[in-house]
Amino acid sequence: MEADAVAFQHIDKSFGAVTALKDVTFAVMPHECHAIVGENGAGKSTLLNILAGSLRPDRGQLALGGVPVALTSPRDALSRGIGLVHQEMLAFPNLTVAANIFAGREIRNRFGMLREADMHARSRALLERMRLPISPDAYVETLRPAHRQLLQVARALAFDCRLLALDEPTTSLTGAETDHLFDILEDLRRNGVTILYVSHRLPEVFRLCHRITVLRDGRFVDTFERESVSRDDIVRAMVGRSIPPRPPGQRPIAGEEPRLRVSNLSRRDSIEDVSLSVARGEVVGVFGLVGSGRTELLETIAGIQQPDRGTIAVDGLPVRARSPRAAARAGVVLVPEDRQREGLCFNLSLRHNLVLPAAATRGTFLIRGSELEESDALVRTWRIAAPSTAITPDRLSGGNQQKIVVAKWLALSPRVLLLDEPTKGVDVAAKYEIHGIVLELAARGTSVLLVSSDLPEVLTLSDRVLVMREGRIRGELAAGADEEQVMRLATTAPGEAA
Amino acid sequence: MKAIWRFRELSTLAILAFEIAFFTWYLWPGEGRPHPFLNAANALLVLKYSSIYGIAAVGAAIVIICGGIDLAPGAIIALSGVVAGGLFVGGHWSLASSAAAGLLAATACGLLSAALIVVAGLPPFIATLGVMGIARGVAFIITEGRYFDVSSALPPGWRVAGIPLDWTSPILMIGLAIVFQVLMTRFQWGRAIFAIGGNAVAARFSGVSVGLVRASVYLVSAALAGVSGIALTVVQGQGKADLAMGYELDIIASAVVGGASLSGGRGSVIGAVLGTLIFGVLRNALPQVPGATFYDRLIVGLVVIAIVVMDQLLQRRKGANA
Repeated sequence: MEADAVAFQHIDKSFGAVTALKDVTFAVMPHECHAIVGENGAGKSTLLNILAGSLRPDRGQLALGGVPVALTSPRDALSRGIGLVHQEMLAFPNLTVAANIFAGREIRNRFGMLREADMHARSRALLERMRLPISPDAYVETLRPAHRQLLQVARALAFDCRLLALDEPTTSLTGAETDHLFDILEDLRRNGVTILYVSHRLPEVFRLCHRITVLRDGRFVDTFERESVSRDDIVRAMVGRSIPPRPPGQRPIAGEEPRLRVSNLSRRDSIEDVSLSVARGEVVGVFGLVGSGRTELLETIAGIQQPDRGTIAVDGLPVRARSPRAAARAGVVLVPEDRQREGLCFNLSLRHNLVLPAAATRGTFLIRGSELEESDALVRTWRIAAPSTAITPDRLSGGNQQKIVVAKWLALSPRVLLLDEPTKGVDVAAKYEIHGIVLELAARGTSVLLVSSDLPEVLTLSDRVLVMREGRIRGELAAGADEEQVMRLATTAPGEAA
Repeated sequence: MKAIWRFRELSTLAILAFEIAFFTWYLWPGEGRPHPFLNAANALLVLKYSSIYGIAAVGAAIVIICGGIDLAPGAIIALSGVVAGGLFVGGHWSLASSAAAGLLAATACGLLSAALIVVAGLPPFIATLGVMGIARGVAFIITEGRYFDVSSALPPGWRVAGIPLDWTSPILMIGLAIVFQVLMTRFQWGRAIFAIGGNAVAARFSGVSVGLVRASVYLVSAALAGVSGIALTVVQGQGKADLAMGYELDIIASAVVGGASLSGGRGSVIGAVLGTLIFGVLRNALPQVPGATFYDRLIVGLVVIAIVVMDQLLQRRKGANA
């Protein structure tokens, strides 16, 4: 019998007090397509980083083809034939496609000069083989997100890669592009490449992979054969319990002027003719793939970007928000997607983070004596696990950081809450707590517009779901719609039959 | 990426050409008198003084493209000049071995910057600020306020390999610019520098030895500043601890005017050299403009801002069309 392509043996990895992986042991067979699934924070990315040589396990080891190895760097992993396609599109925007493909492994002549013509020709051949309609001379910053993602695969293919690991490669791809990627992967597998596929999109996993390994809270749960397992089994293994569906508790809304009304909103290159309304106490979900204009829609409503056309009204009064501050005064606040970059000031204590929006919109920049009580009250109300409000946010877990970001806006008692990916990168427990907060707010009469790429999340929380694609709203579904209906609206490319 | 020359260098060249044309017109002399700006002797003067900045700007551009910053060149210019001058005049060493010692001192500074940045993980701004102080400080300690008069120790009419002294540093600048332009555009080392400046994490995952390349960049920058210091000492004839005060900012400004982006990943060596020529012409011509005496620093500042803003606008226009 052939030796395992990769075997993870008793891998432990911690970051400070946080245990990312604990005693993870499983093996990937040669020439198979093997999925690793798990909730956010289950340890998938850490495991891939160990495989790619960028992290070293605290304990345990890795065996490649039956031989134990200690990878010292990404360079070492590459030279052993391990290619990794990252979740974040890791590319060099300032270089051409050909330079990206060969970055770090340029073809040189015997004087060490780059053989541009060779690299150009091989890039062209590779792109043709992958049926990617891009030029080797194009600068990567001009490419569409989907093409940048596929370029990562091309990079892995440009050298002799025997094990290709992909981390959530389809997050920014449309249906057709995903099909395209899967064709390429299947082709590779037939040519002897072993594929390790990390995703939380179960339909894709079932379509592509032969065996499925489930991780939960940094531990190995089980490896399943595709033929002998159902999607529900996998979900149960991932979550560790079954999730009760939300009772379709429709709140009566009829006859009232909607709290938020957006009419014919357009912005060049991002959103087109978007109209929607959210009633008092209603949760409206907006689903769309990356690049569908969902984030731009929220940012335009929140006054971060200016619309070219269209109007926004809150409680019937038109809002001409030219800044987030003006929007907040009208009762509209946005909890942004990227809490590291847009949500928190990591140099400030929790207390100062929490009172910042309130202080800024009231126009009082004076430090007030009451901020101590105010911030402590917020931490108590939203059950944020922080030892004190005097610490800085980096000492909190992702989930609690996210709760701080939400809580700091809630101090303003907003009438309309815009949420962009509120549970991205938080653990399961924090996710349910954040869901609880959203539903509690809605019950108190706050209107919520929720953007998330986590489709089950959108479907559980929302009273209605709007589906966006290419800047437009492509359909509206009532609560209880199924995932396939939504995905079909979100991914059908123009020209394809709907 | 394919061509050694790119659009951006041509636009810097165009600015330089415009500048020369402007001063040629503005300083046009009366009937029968020689042109005070447009003449061979003045051109050589501009080249000679610009080359001191230009040689160091080659290194500055490389550091900036790699996503870093180097504040030490000015002080390293002084240190290498003082070391070479001191050994030549005071120690009666040969010119070649004195120059080698000056270069060695400069390289040691580069090694220190590289170690502080790559091994100790200091931000480049702080690390090179510290090295700047150290290099300048050592230069003062060596000279104790004296200066080493290299020119009087040189035989009159002395030439380097048959080249008149005034020509040596411009030729050195042009030669080094071409060599490093080729290294940056045609060799893996240069490609790695662009990659690190564009996305250091991706570079690491692509197998680039990020630490080694970053270290090499600070070494090269310091060594080039050393060359520039030796050129300055030999051309101006003296080694002094307070030479090249504040040059580091002029050098960085030249690289930026020549197309280098302080956020890394963009720029060119040739562009940086053209940038130093733009400043060299300004410094040469402005004193000849009647009434501009007290305005030259102000005008230089405005020109930096004007060129960079123009470039940004062009970039944005290009981005919108894409």
